[in-house]
Amino acid sequence: MSNTLRSQRLGALFAAGWLLLNFPLLGLWDSDLTVLGIPLFPLALFAIWGGTIATVAWWMESRPALETPATSLPEPAPQARE
Amino acid sequence: MTAMLPAPLVIGTSLAYLLLLVGVAYWADRRAAARRSVIARPWVYALSMAVYCTAWTYFGSVERAATGGMWFLPIYLGPTLAMVLGWTVLRKMIRIAKTHRITSIADFIASRYGKSQLLATLVTLVAVVGIVPYIALQLKAVSSGYALLTSGSAVAPAHLHWSQDSAFYVAIALAGFAIVFGARHLDTTERHEGMVAAIAFESLVKLAAFLCVGVFVVYGLFGGLGDIFSQARARPELADLLHAEQGGAYSWARWMGLMVLALCAALVLPRQFQVMVVENVHEDHVRRASWMFPLYLLLINLFVLPIALGGLLYFSGGEHNPEHFVLSLPMAAGQNALALFVFIGGLSAATGMVIVETVAVSTMVSNELALPLLLRLRLLGTAHQPRDFTRSLLMIRRAAIVGVLLLGYLYFQLAGDAYALASIGLISFAAVAQFAPVLLGGMYWRGGTRAGALAGLIMGFGVWVYTLMLPSIAKSGWLDVGFLTAGPWGVAWLRPESLWGLQGLDSLTHSLFWSLLINCAAYVIVSLWRAPSGREASQALLFVDVFRRGTAQTPVFWRGRADAAELKRLCERFLGVEKTRELWRSYAKEAGLIADQALVPDARLVQFVEAQLTGAVGSASARVLVASVSDEEALSQGDVLVMLEEASQLRSYSRALETKSRSLEQATSELRSANEQLKSLDRLKDDFMSSVTHELRTPLTSIRALAEILQGDAEVPPQQRQRFVDIIVQETERLTRLVNQVLDMAKIESGHIDWRLADIDVRALLEKAMATTAALLSDRGAEMELDVPQTLPLLHADPDRLLQVLLNLISNAAKFVPPQGGHVQLRARADGQGLTVCVQDNGPGVPAGHEHLIFDRFHQAGGPTPGGQGTGLGLPISHHIVAHFGGRLWLEPPAPGAPPGACFCFWLPWQPAFSGDTAP
Repeated sequence: MSNTLRSQRLGALFAAGWLLLNFPLLGLWDSDLTVLGIPLFPLALFAIWGGTIATVAWWMESRPALETPATSLPEPAPQARE
Repeated sequence: MTAMLPAPLVIGTSLAYLLLLVGVAYWADRRAAARRSVIARPWVYALSMAVYCTAWTYFGSVERAATGGMWFLPIYLGPTLAMVLGWTVLRKMIRIAKTHRITSIADFIASRYGKSQLLATLVTLVAVVGIVPYIALQLKAVSSGYALLTSGSAVAPAHLHWSQDSAFYVAIALAGFAIVFGARHLDTTERHEGMVAAIAFESLVKLAAFLCVGVFVVYGLFGGLGDIFSQARARPELADLLHAEQGGAYSWARWMGLMVLALCAALVLPRQFQVMVVENVHEDHVRRASWMFPLYLLLINLFVLPIALGGLLYFSGGEHNPEHFVLSLPMAAGQNALALFVFIGGLSAATGMVIVETVAVSTMVSNELALPLLLRLRLLGTAHQPRDFTRSLLMIRRAAIVGVLLLGYLYFQLAGDAYALASIGLISFAAVAQFAPVLLGGMYWRGGTRAGALAGLIMGFGVWVYTLMLPSIAKSGWLDVGFLTAGPWGVAWLRPESLWGLQGLDSLTHSLFWSLLINCAAYVIVSLWRAPSGREASQALLFVDVFRRGTAQTPVFWRGRADAAELKRLCERFLGVEKTRELWRSYAKEAGLIADQALVPDARLVQFVEAQLTGAVGSASARVLVASVSDEEALSQGDVLVMLEEASQLRSYSRALETKSRSLEQATSELRSANEQLKSLDRLKDDFMSSVTHELRTPLTSIRALAEILQGDAEVPPQQRQRFVDIIVQETERLTRLVNQVLDMAKIESGHIDWRLADIDVRALLEKAMATTAALLSDRGAEMELDVPQTLPLLHADPDRLLQVLLNLISNAAKFVPPQGGHVQLRARADGQGLTVCVQDNGPGVPAGHEHLIFDRFHQAGGPTPGGQGTGLGLPISHHIVAHFGGRLWLEPPAPGAPPGACFCFWLPWQPAFSGDTAP
């Protein structure tokens, strides 16, 4: 079940989010620049955060294609019935 | 200095709002009873998760932003990352909890490690200790907000006697509401539809209120975001808040520590577990919640920094507490209505948290603390003196809710002034985060044992108490601060805030690092000390592999003797008579039994009863109760493996059986269709026989009638006699033809025909066919046309049979041409491979739908033929002959717009390619 393409992508996104929202990558945005009057550091934080959420939403709401197993299962796939 | 609001107005509005919540909850409960659940929607689920945002978020974030800039944010980034993994981790938690009817985080952990009562009790105690300060925080927020609204300054309410203290009444009122929402009746699944609906509603209110005040501050008090930021940048002490670095490289460790803390808290806080796992209606709702909940967090934090900066700028240098900027800013601007709305939003945040948290904790306290104690003291009656216990269970829940809230009030009275909201919240988070290693470890690692979990939790919690709790108490002035600075008994490396001499980290990160490290280490090391027992191993398998098997195939790890009647009595005591009867009936129905008296007290029934009791009293108590009425044999780890093996064998057998029965079904359907085909062939054969005999009878009848006339009447004039004899001869010929054709057909079909091969001059053959049928055609008044190239290669085939085919087609055409102006065209064309011959008439053509049937062996198309000459065998025989030489015979589809008429063609290779199969 955890072998679907979606689960693997989400795992990768988790790692990426963890890196982007921590030292040292986050430190790259720490400058005196402003964009439309908004300081870069808070803006970057919210942008990365929003980007992560948007990506999750995209992958979660696009249904069928991502349910396929990314690797072949050693066992027969679990049965769908309840 | 600012306009104040009259106390009755604030109290009245608050009460009206709380009553509205009760109304929402009542409505949702009614809808649930009518099976039209309002909370069975993913967005309601996501909103209910937003109970994560408490008064601490509502008031505390601004305070943190006012002192540390963006450092309020990791607490919300952590849950976002947790929800990125929600589809994997959270869904697994939900699946496990639903499979085992788990209703609290204490039960989850205890159940995983062999349904350990000790572990459940420990988790409950840690949760209560961790949660009480957090509840105190909510009381503090509401009462100081109230004080600010009504008196203009947030006076320290702790100095008041309890009877004059608004926080006390808030606590009592919240206890009442929590009871109404969470402990009005007993539900074995611990789901509270009304409560969830109310929480989701509160989440909307607090978000709306916070966004309102944000927009007001940014666009009402200032000229937009750019204005606030540029003013802040102009002031050096505020400009620092816009940057990341708050001094030293170690501060990044704090950032990461906060994210880890919040990530764990989002999964293991009792209230989060309650709304995300226990109250989950459908697993699939995680799909939407995994982005909607983070989006909610983003929205509610959008204006935190602008409000903090705005407050600092607006009151520049004043004595206003940043915790109350959201209230004091609108009040200072004279926007009392907005301030009241914001206060209601804060009230929402606080009440939501308190209600869910106390309901969750009360479940734990009653199931994991009170019940085991009562069971041990035999206060519930023994198995032999049964007593309905459902009412007592409810009373324990209610008492637990009141108890937890009073504890919270007590803490608030004692320590409320010492700390700001934000630090209380973080201390609580750090206590509860100790659950994360044993919880997540238990879900993904089979090797974790009860002893390991106990060791991890005790050590982690112990380190938390020593490094975070004790220092906070000391700083509040109840303990000598000496042990903080010099270490206990003067031992410097035991100083709580720099354990083993670790320095440079702030106290929270320091405590989190040591407590989680020691927690994980103890958990792993002690778990690896010895192999898990049978019960631990079986629960580990059920938890870790929950996605591998469907619920129907869960192996049952129980062996022993039980009595069905005793089990039923046990259920009646804890679930009520009515509910038990219903459950028993559904179980019997599922087991395929008509009367529940016939139930066999096997392992599955025992497991069913235990699962039902787990919902009501927790897994550890349920196990003790079931054990009290049955003789259970202890299982070793080997037994568990054998049982698992059996279960998986059973599973593979059932899968094989399924495959077999599927293929059997397929074979049956194939046989059935073959049978159908045979039947229809048989019917066709019968039809053919009857039509042949009918055809034979017609000429026979006329022959016999004429012969009788000739025999009986000697006076028949010679002319007449001659005519009669002619007819007799004619009819006899027809009979002969018919019999010959039937014989031909039979011969061809059985392969007994003799083929005589020769080189044929096609043109000569066609002319011969024309000459033979000339009389027939002229009788029908039709003319014939031959269209053949001058030179054609020689065709190697049987000339007699080929002539038979041609005669058949031409006589067929002759039969159908109109009486006047009949026209038949005989056409031959050569190509590299073979010869195509077509016979075209200008008759009515073949009726639509009969194109394929006319070649059928036993099919006579077109009804009675004019002149009664047909036998219905001509075309099938021709078809067989052509096919024998490797050619084919077909009906040319009429070209659109062409005059009516049928066109039969056949194609033959120059050299015959004998086809073994001459069947059509």
